[in-house]
Amino acid sequence: MSRLSGTALVAPLVLVLAGVFVGPLLVMLPTSFHPYVPGQGIGTAWTLENYIEPFADSYYRDVILRTLWMGFIVTAIALLIGYPLAYFMARTTRTWRAVATLLVMFPLFLNLVVRSFGWIALLSNRGVINTWLMDLGVIEKPLRMMFDMTGLVIGMVHIYLPFMVFMLLSSISRVPRDVEDAAATLSASPSRVFFFVTLPLTAPGILAGCTLVFVLTISALVTPRLLGGPTYKVMSTLIYDEFLVKLDWPSGTAFAFILTAIALLVIWGANRVARRVTGGAW
Amino acid sequence: MANRTLRLLTATATALPLLLAQAATEASAQELVIATFGGSFLDASKECHIAPFEEATGSEVDTVVGNTTQHSASIRAMGGQSEYDVVYLDDSAATQLKNEGLLADIDRSQLTAAGQIDPRAFDESGQYVVFMTGATAIAYNTDLVDTPPTSWNDLFDEKWSGQIAIGDVTGTSGWQFLLAVNKLHGGTLEDITPGLEAIKPLAQDAVTLYTQADQLIALFERGEIAMAPWYPDRAGSAADQGLPIAIAYPKEGAVGIRPTLVIPKGAPHPELALKYIDTVLSKDGQECFAEKKYAGPVNLDVELSDKAAAIVPYGETLQQLWFLDPAVTSKELPNWIDRWQREVLR
Repeated sequence: MSRLSGTALVAPLVLVLAGVFVGPLLVMLPTSFHPYVPGQGIGTAWTLENYIEPFADSYYRDVILRTLWMGFIVTAIALLIGYPLAYFMARTTRTWRAVATLLVMFPLFLNLVVRSFGWIALLSNRGVINTWLMDLGVIEKPLRMMFDMTGLVIGMVHIYLPFMVFMLLSSISRVPRDVEDAAATLSASPSRVFFFVTLPLTAPGILAGCTLVFVLTISALVTPRLLGGPTYKVMSTLIYDEFLVKLDWPSGTAFAFILTAIALLVIWGANRVARRVTGGAW
Repeated sequence: MANRTLRLLTATATALPLLLAQAATEASAQELVIATFGGSFLDASKECHIAPFEEATGSEVDTVVGNTTQHSASIRAMGGQSEYDVVYLDDSAATQLKNEGLLADIDRSQLTAAGQIDPRAFDESGQYVVFMTGATAIAYNTDLVDTPPTSWNDLFDEKWSGQIAIGDVTGTSGWQFLLAVNKLHGGTLEDITPGLEAIKPLAQDAVTLYTQADQLIALFERGEIAMAPWYPDRAGSAADQGLPIAIAYPKEGAVGIRPTLVIPKGAPHPELALKYIDTVLSKDGQECFAEKKYAGPVNLDVELSDKAAAIVPYGETLQQLWFLDPAVTSKELPNWIDRWQREVLR
């Protein structure tokens, strides 16, 4: 395909993305450099305060670190659960693969709010799990599983696991069976084959899956709002509050740009690592 | 100049989804768009205000449901080119938007009910009008609590440990209860440290910090909470549905809430909007809303049934109500939210 026709094919999407996504984003940029005067509105002076405060104020710093930590934990768990599952799906019979695909995909058909409420029904103080444990006499007081990291991580892993699995699945499926067979013929044990052949060959898929899950997790809003409650904040819920509760648009905008910068940094870093791992073939 | 263009652009960009949504629903030319509150509030509005208004004017009313902050954000996003004709807001948000120059004047001389309205209901510069008096008082479970509470201090009683719910500071009852406790402990609006310190143990022991008023209904129903700072109108509606809830006004005085009606700048039908406001303020409209929704009337001609009078701020309870200056609350609220998040919740 010629370069020109490639450009023509991409152009509509680029125009739409630039028009409805990048454009408004850039329009919001100046807002983040204005001060907010409570009771008066957005000021006209220029200031860097909105970008300095998130890093200078220990409360905001906590929220940023908590968000990154949450992204890390969720990604790690999704990878640990997702890899064996994707491996199974890639190597099993056609029927089993269809069953597993359906099971992994099914949660995606349900609305995010419904799924989050499902977890509330399970995890709350008077939820299914606590009631059950108390009836059995295992615990006396309800375990606190909501409005903290536990609840958030459980909910987010459930929601983003399918993304990880499908990324890994396509990557694992692409590993030629002959390569593994060749290693086995050279008397490598199954675990050796896995760690020295399969795993490195699927590294790009792992990186892509991790990047996707991490970025989706740190920018998720609905689940943290429902499972984190009013007290346990992450960056996205903080941004929501700045805009809609405090009406402090400049701070909210600055936070949103910081979150975007973090996400871009992660994607860029992952790309660099991927290039090194695959020697530029990716 | 450049700055103005920029702000206009910002407003347009953020208002675009709203405008698109609006364009889809806009059918007839004489359609009044009202941004209001949901739930039982909307049901009562439909019966008491919207239906009579539609009948009298022959125009149709379209409602957009949200809370005060969402409506404020929309008005700001639409920046003087409002798609809404009338908006329901609390007085603190109304003051904030007035200061931002986003509200149109409400011409008192055009309101037939103006003479019957408590003059304090009108904003000095004529940009909003208070249409009801609400309050943050104490709601209690009549099955669990034998002697009705008489003071804000009763919520701190050891006896009820683990059976209290309070509002998060981002909701009206949340910051109002904080200020009431603050006053009790010698604080002022400029210094809320005593309040924050006193409320901290209660907040950490609370069953929940509710962010939606109706969250409490289920908690009361299941007997999970004995008491909570709550709104008489919501409590009254819940009691009407057979829940064991009653309202008590603390002797220190409940905190007054003054929901307002505003006409945003650039509203498409300002004259119709005024007529709607007139309907809400009329004797019939106020009487109906007080009996159905337990809203304290601002129309002085209204006479209440004994049942409604016991629930809404009326007579003595109205006299004792503590009203906060909306200019101060709109200015201080972000600061209160910040300190609450850092000093109470952490």
